Amino acid sequence: MRVIIVDDEDLARGIVREYLASHLDIRIVGECSNGFDAVKAITESKPDLLFLDIQMPKLNGFEVLDLLDPRPRVIFVTAYDSYAIKAFEVNAIDYLLKPFSRERFEKALLRVAGKEGDEPQDAVDNLIRSNRSLNAPIERILVRDGSRVHVIPSPMVDHIEAQDDYVSIHSGGKKYLKLERLSDLEAALDPKRFVRIHRSHIVNIERLVRLETYAKDSRIVVLNDGTKLPVSRPGYEKLKGLL
Amino acid sequence: MHPILKDRRTLALYLLAWLAPGLTLATLMATTAKAPWGGAICFSLPAMIVYAFMSLSSWYVCRAFPLPGTDLAKTLSSLFFAALLSSALWLLACYAWASALEWMQPGLAPRERYMDSLPLLASFGVGLFLIAAAVHYLIESLESARRTERNALELQVLARDAELKALRAQIDPHFLFNSLNSISALTSTDAAAARTMTLMLADFLRMSMNFGGLEMIRLEQEIALVRHFLEIEKVRFGNRLVVQTEIGAGTLSARVPPLLLQPLVENAVNHGIAQIPDGGHLLLRTESDGGSLRLLIRNPVDPGRTKPRGRGMGLTIVRRRIERLYGSGGNLDVQETGGNFVAVLTIPHQV
Repeated sequence: MRVIIVDDEDLARGIVREYLASHLDIRIVGECSNGFDAVKAITESKPDLLFLDIQMPKLNGFEVLDLLDPRPRVIFVTAYDSYAIKAFEVNAIDYLLKPFSRERFEKALLRVAGKEGDEPQDAVDNLIRSNRSLNAPIERILVRDGSRVHVIPSPMVDHIEAQDDYVSIHSGGKKYLKLERLSDLEAALDPKRFVRIHRSHIVNIERLVRLETYAKDSRIVVLNDGTKLPVSRPGYEKLKGLL
Repeated sequence: MHPILKDRRTLALYLLAWLAPGLTLATLMATTAKAPWGGAICFSLPAMIVYAFMSLSSWYVCRAFPLPGTDLAKTLSSLFFAALLSSALWLLACYAWASALEWMQPGLAPRERYMDSLPLLASFGVGLFLIAAAVHYLIESLESARRTERNALELQVLARDAELKALRAQIDPHFLFNSLNSISALTSTDAAAARTMTLMLADFLRMSMNFGGLEMIRLEQEIALVRHFLEIEKVRFGNRLVVQTEIGAGTLSARVPPLLLQPLVENAVNHGIAQIPDGGHLLLRTESDGGSLRLLIRNPVDPGRTKPRGRGMGLTIVRRRIERLYGSGGNLDVQETGGNFVAVLTIPHQV
C-alpha cells in the first residue's frame, strides 16, 4: 500500500513514520507540511491511503480532500476539534486523536484496509459538505488545475455556470472547472451577493449592469463585461427581492 | 408581616406621625363642627391611632396591585373600594368610640357632634387611606431600586469569580494535545528532549493554574509563563517560530493582572504564525515611561486567512478585564498593517 502523510508539524509526521516502519507492505511515497503540497503530491503520486491532519495553514484537511479526484482512502488526524469529531462519528469515518498509541493506530489501519473496494465516498462527501456549511458564507473558492490549486476570493467571482457534474467559475476573464454541484455552491456562498438566477447560473450581483426583458418570461441580465445570462422566473423574483 | 409592624421603633415613629392628622382632625372638628376642643382631642387622637392601624391594610392592597401594573383602572378602583371599606369600618368604630366617650363623660363629645362631623370624618378616612397607599407604593419602589442595585453588584462579583475560574482552567486544548503529541514523538527519537518538554509543559500548566487565582503578579512572572509557552511551541513548530523579546528597563517589577499577556501571545501563534506555511518572527516588547506600561506583541499574519471558528473571545476578555480594572486608564489597541498584526496593551505602571 502506498501512503502519503500530511501534517504541518514535523514531529507529528515522525510518529506516523515510526508506527509504519514495521509494516513492510506499506511504503511512504510522500510527506507534506501544507495543503498545496499535499494536493500536488497526491495528484502526481496517486497514493492508496492518506494520513491527513485537519488543522493546517492556508488549506485545511477537508479543503484538501475536496480538491482531490479521485480520492484516496483517508485516516484523519486531529488534536482537538469537537465539530470534526462529531462529523466523523456521524459518518463513520476513521480518525485518530493526538497523541495516539500504536494500538490505536493499528486498529485504524486495519479498518481502512478492510474497506478494500468498499469506498464510503458518500460519508466523506457529507463530511466535506457539513464542514463547508459550518464555514458559510465562504470567502473563497478552491479550484484544482492539474496538480496546482487556485484560490479564488469570493468577491473576484463574476458568475458560475453549471456544466454536468462540474461548474465553470468565471473570474477576471478566466474560467475554472470544479467538480461540484451548483446547488452546493449556492448554499455556501453569501446569499446577499450571489444569486441563483437560473437553474444553471449563479451571478455576483455586483457585476450586474442591467436587466432586459424580451417577453413575459424571457429575461436576461447583462454583466459589466458584456456577458449575457438567462434569468428564470424564480431567479427574477430573487433578483427583485435583492435589488 | 407588615414592614412597619416588624420594628418597634418604626411603629412608634409611625404612630407619632399619625398625631398630625389627628390634631388636624381635632382642629377641624373644633372649628367646623363647633365641638369643644377637649372633646375633639379626646375623640380624634384615639380615633386616629385606630385608623393608623387600619390603614396599614392598604399595604396588602398595594402588594396585590403593584405599580406599574397592567390594569391601572382596576388598581385604582380596588384602592378606592378598599378606602371606602376601611373608612366605613372606621366610621363605625368612631361611632362606637363617640358613644363610649358620651357614656364616660357626657357632654364632652355628644353624638350629634359626631353626626355633624360625618362628612369630615369620611373624607379623612378615604383621603388618609389613599395617602397611606401612596406612601406604601413609594416605599415599595425604593425597596425595589435597592434590590436591583444589590443584584447588579452580586452579578458583577459572580461574573468576576466565573471569569477567574475560567482563566485558571483555560488551557487551549489544541496546545495541550499537540504538545503531548510532540512529547510522544520525541520519546523514541530524543528521550532527553522528551523529558525537557514534559517538564516545561508541567511548569507551564502549574504556573497558569497558580497565577489564575491571584489578583496581581509581577510582569516578570507573566513573561516567564509566556516564555515557557513559546519554548514549547518552538518544539512543535521548529524553524517556523522565531521569538524575539525586548524587555524594557524597570518593567519586570511592574504589577499586572495575571494571564493578560498569555492570551495575546496564544493568538499570535495560533492565528498568526500557525497559519503561515513558513512561519515567521514573533516580537514581544515591554517598555515603560514611569506612568504607563506598554506591552507590545507583533507577529506576521496571512491576510487571506479564514476567520477562526468559535474563537475570537481572547481579545474581548482581555479588553473587558482591563476596562474593569483600569477604566479609561487601560487600553488594548490592535492593528493589522503590511502583513503584520500588532497588539499593544497599555496599562498604568503600578509597583
